[in-house]
Amino acid sequence: MPELYLRLLNRILTPVLLLLSLYLLFRGHNLPGGGFIAGLMAAAAFQLQILSRGHDSLRRTVGPYLNSGIGLGLAVAVCSGIVGLLDGTFFKGVWFSLDLPLLGYLKIGTPVIFDLGVFLVVVSVATSYLLGLSRVADANVEPGRRADS
Amino acid sequence: MAVSANLLAVPVAAPLLTAALILLFARWGGRTLIRHQIALTALALCINLAAAALLFRAAAGQGQRFVLQLGAWSAPFGITVYGDGLSATLLLMTALVALAVYPFAVATIDYHRARMGFHPLYLFLLMGVNGAFLAGDLFNLYVFFEVLLMASFVLLTVGAQPAQTNSGIRYVVLNLLASTVFLVAAGIAYGTLGTLNFAQIAERLPLASPAVRTVFAGLLLVGFGSKAAIFPLFFWLPASYHTPPPAVTALFGGLLTKVGVYTLFRSFTLFFPELLQDWQPVLLTIASATMLVGALGALAQPGIRRVLSFHIISHVGFMLMGLAVALSGNNLAFGFGLGAAIIYLCHHMIIKTALIMAGGAVELHMGSDRLASIGGLVSRQPFLAFLFFTAAISLAGVPPFSGFVSKLSLLQITLDTRHWVVSGVSVFASLLTMMNMMRLWRESFWGDYSRPSRVPSRILQSSVRQRLMLTPVAVLVLLSLALGIWGEPAFRLSMQVAQQALDRQAYIEAVSPSAQTSTLPAGLFTVPAETVSTILSKEN
Amino acid sequence: MISLLLAFAVGSLFACGTYLIMRRGQIKLILGLALLSHGVNLLLFGSGRLTEGRPPIFLNKADYAETLSSSLPADPLPQALILTAIVISFGITAFVIVLVNRRHTVTQTDYVHGELTPLLREGDPFDFSESAELDQYDWLAYEVDEVYDSEELLTGFPTLPPSEQDESTAMEQDQYRWP
Repeated sequence: MPELYLRLLNRILTPVLLLLSLYLLFRGHNLPGGGFIAGLMAAAAFQLQILSRGHDSLRRTVGPYLNSGIGLGLAVAVCSGIVGLLDGTFFKGVWFSLDLPLLGYLKIGTPVIFDLGVFLVVVSVATSYLLGLSRVADANVEPGRRADS
Repeated sequence: MAVSANLLAVPVAAPLLTAALILLFARWGGRTLIRHQIALTALALCINLAAAALLFRAAAGQGQRFVLQLGAWSAPFGITVYGDGLSATLLLMTALVALAVYPFAVATIDYHRARMGFHPLYLFLLMGVNGAFLAGDLFNLYVFFEVLLMASFVLLTVGAQPAQTNSGIRYVVLNLLASTVFLVAAGIAYGTLGTLNFAQIAERLPLASPAVRTVFAGLLLVGFGSKAAIFPLFFWLPASYHTPPPAVTALFGGLLTKVGVYTLFRSFTLFFPELLQDWQPVLLTIASATMLVGALGALAQPGIRRVLSFHIISHVGFMLMGLAVALSGNNLAFGFGLGAAIIYLCHHMIIKTALIMAGGAVELHMGSDRLASIGGLVSRQPFLAFLFFTAAISLAGVPPFSGFVSKLSLLQITLDTRHWVVSGVSVFASLLTMMNMMRLWRESFWGDYSRPSRVPSRILQSSVRQRLMLTPVAVLVLLSLALGIWGEPAFRLSMQVAQQALDRQAYIEAVSPSAQTSTLPAGLFTVPAETVSTILSKEN
Repeated sequence: MISLLLAFAVGSLFACGTYLIMRRGQIKLILGLALLSHGVNLLLFGSGRLTEGRPPIFLNKADYAETLSSSLPADPLPQALILTAIVISFGITAFVIVLVNRRHTVTQTDYVHGELTPLLREGDPFDFSESAELDQYDWLAYEVDEVYDSEELLTGFPTLPPSEQDESTAMEQDQYRWP
């Protein structure tokens, strides 16, 4: 029963992966990381879900919002470029910094927002692709041998 | 009104943002969803047309060049978006074609395809095409090529009918190979010249060894030529264009190959104008072969859309012929050949789209586009017959339509430069085009009315849909007529555009890729230093 | 030396990719395309400077000056290009896999003009001979079978077919028909 191990791993790893992907997303401006890598990592978390519990639950919970996620990500990315117009040029980086009590000094700018958009697009595209392929894989297996049955 | 360079972002950003919004709200809206999508898409197309018209007036009319450095990073380091007369002309034509095909698409695209995202894909395709016209460096050109290819893959196969998936695979594979070749060219440019920016490539290419220049030019010719469907590389086109719904074919026929033609124009005039002379026999041979194969292949085809897709190939040959003689011209003005090719390009985009849409309407009425099984539609659909006829004779080059002006100017330049063979071939191909168009018209409109082979489409029961289908065809035919009647001012404008495109130094200065020393960097494929120094010493 | 190795790697990737594309077989086609894109990525990688242990990111200026005096640091641009190219080839490979899969399903069972016809020879992605004339008008059939409401276009778009009236299930079904 490989599912047993996978389920256990899933319990442990999924939150770790999701947190790690957020960490990668926000450190990505100056250090290795960024929206694309973070998005792939979050999609890997979802793939772990698919492998361990089958794709039905993920399809129910996340599936309906994937198209909207792609759209939202693209819109956020374009809008972060439009913000630069205020400063004269399309896609010009606009930065402002905050001093927060807990997190300390935080610098937020349009490149971070752009990365957020990229993250959303990548997560949604990769997850919908994985879900689509898992359904295809299921359709090719004879009934009764489905991984989640 | 002064036009800001930020306007260059509109043709890319407006379709992208609209498509993103459509996707974002694709889950909500219930049964009015598609209506909202249509309204949004139409709005984006209108914004795009307005931006393109503004750009055209400033860039082609007044000869300005627009350079937008994204994020205010200066030229070789940032992303350069460049718009001049040539880009603006193609942007305007693209905007017109996209806006004209859209009502036809709304009328004929079925509900399933609309649900599967036809409208956002339409916008993504438009965005890719616009971006390719505006790209100022090789890699962004590649990215926008891929954007438009991806959108076209999906538009071609959406619906997933057997023929569509079949032709989809050929289309995908052959276009991917072309993209790969192009990316290799980009890698070689970066390895030898140390830059991807068009202006900097143009600046540094004379320093590179002739071998590098030849390889680079050859790879670009293969990559772009494959997108443009020139002679030995056109096989993806007739294999796929007849399978999707006619609205998609009309859009593809109007836009896709023209991106390849544009990139050929841009790269050859900017990077290696000297090769236009050196390689002229090769280019003219390819052009003649393309013209002949397209026209002869069309003769053998059994269906309306198959004939028309072969004619796309034939006409790409005419444009390539114009490019090949772009710099020569004994008694004519400088850049006459390119000007003629540009006006031919505009004529082709307008009339080919109109003709494919009219053919699609025939297909809907008869339930088939096989010439053997249709006929006699002239008594049932006189207006459609009239439109098809006028569009067909315009394509064949009969005055007073635009085909006459553009073909005459191309013929004039080839005769003036004493390329007798290629001018003979072009006349012969025009005659074949005429013959094919008459064949199409005779088979589909004359003769006895043959009953449709299947139940007439329910689309045709709605008079609104019928009007949506035929009005854009009529508008495009009128445009072609206008381009023919006001041929002289139009030609003067396209000459200006051509001369602007041929002015390399002004391009380089407009982008001004920083005052770096013009020595080649040390890369993997770097030419031995002594080669460069010998070239430099020769120049001094 | 290392650049020679790289050149051999690029060449063999291209050769294998081309060979695989020429073969009959859908999986080989996909693999061939993937190999070709890897070859191009490696070529792009080689187009920058091949350096060892000299990253282009410096935390202080003293390091920067020191590194520049000895030799140039690695070129970061090809890596950005490769990342983009990988993303694009990832998307396209995903699309091709789905397309080939769809075509495979079509191959197995598909009704054309009312009869079960073997549309294509199994496995050959370029085989077109038997189906060339048969399925030319499928887009029309698709449209005719569609359930249209009598409402006009501009006053309201056709309602959903009865099976899809339920909003939530229709959404869920449509979600994954997305290509």
